[in-house]
Amino acid sequence: MEIKSTDRDDFKRVYDENYHLLIQVIMHIVYNIEIAEDLTQETFERFYVKNMTFPSEDDAKYWLIRVAKNLALNHVRRNKREIEIVEKARHNPSSSVEMRDAAQVAVEADERRAVRNAIESLPENLRLVIQLKEYSGLDYKAIAKVLGISETNVKVRVYRARKKLEEALSTEDRDVY
Amino acid sequence: MCIDSQMLSAYLDGELPEPYRTQVEEHLEHCAACRKHLDDMRALERRIQSSEFPEEQLMRNKDRIFSLLDKKYFQNGNKVSFIRRRLEISLPSLITAAAAVVFIFIGGFMFFGTSSEQTEDILPSFALQADSANVHYVSDTAGLESYTLEEILQYLDSKGYNVDISIKGLQPLETTQSTEVVE
Repeated sequence: MEIKSTDRDDFKRVYDENYHLLIQVIMHIVYNIEIAEDLTQETFERFYVKNMTFPSEDDAKYWLIRVAKNLALNHVRRNKREIEIVEKARHNPSSSVEMRDAAQVAVEADERRAVRNAIESLPENLRLVIQLKEYSGLDYKAIAKVLGISETNVKVRVYRARKKLEEALSTEDRDVY
Repeated sequence: MCIDSQMLSAYLDGELPEPYRTQVEEHLEHCAACRKHLDDMRALERRIQSSEFPEEQLMRNKDRIFSLLDKKYFQNGNKVSFIRRRLEISLPSLITAAAAVVFIFIGGFMFFGTSSEQTEDILPSFALQADSANVHYVSDTAGLESYTLEEILQYLDSKGYNVDISIKGLQPLETTQSTEVVE
């Protein structure tokens, strides 16, 4: 079904359908919820302002992910230093979102940081592919469309990313124990 | 022979086409090493996915942002599409008008030629003034920043302007004194 980005019904449907996906993708690049929300909003604004007609909902989705990803990457490149400061503040427990059982939160945070560090240590071409695969639920074909590479290439990159992550995470375990 | 890891990775993602998929499944049934390998991959995948961000954090402002966009773009008379629709309708006539302008322009030069003396025939009032003696370059390469504030003030003063300068956020101490100076 055709999607017109300036039609309110189409816009609303695409928004409801993709908000979670986009903020997820952006969040895994910028790691800050306020910035992720801003960039998600900007992605949808561009969608509207471009005033485009997409042949299908999937095409609109791929376009949106591509824009969201680029906005997030640009943001990170532009604000490297600033992000590091925010990052330091974020690791401060007083600013964490909701305090459940403190020990539980600490363990979860450690695990999350370990995985996140491992993912961040990947080169960008592998990192994006594995993030789209594991966090966005996209199949190889969709990832290929978003990134403009072949499906075979996606397959290879997913595999390489997994191999590297396995190494990174297992050496980290050895450091801990 | 055991399964290539890359194939196993694609199998895990459900992206391995037939007949390879059946072959892999058959092999897995009797090869403990490959089963272990696949389980490890699965565990890794779970571990990566478990570091997802909590749902309620990601979605907390979804409705707010939508109503913001809704207000900005859809409750404002649908601006963009309105302009676009207008343009689409007038496009053929726009092209006709543009063609007419070009035609007249070229025609003008064909009849009158392009030599400078004949500018007078086309635009007599302009030709009189467009003499090199009358043309002054108003902009210099150096901008206002090459003058100090004092020089600018002196210049304005010499032209008879009365300039009051204040600094943002600072209140003048005595207003009576400043009126005296003006007088």
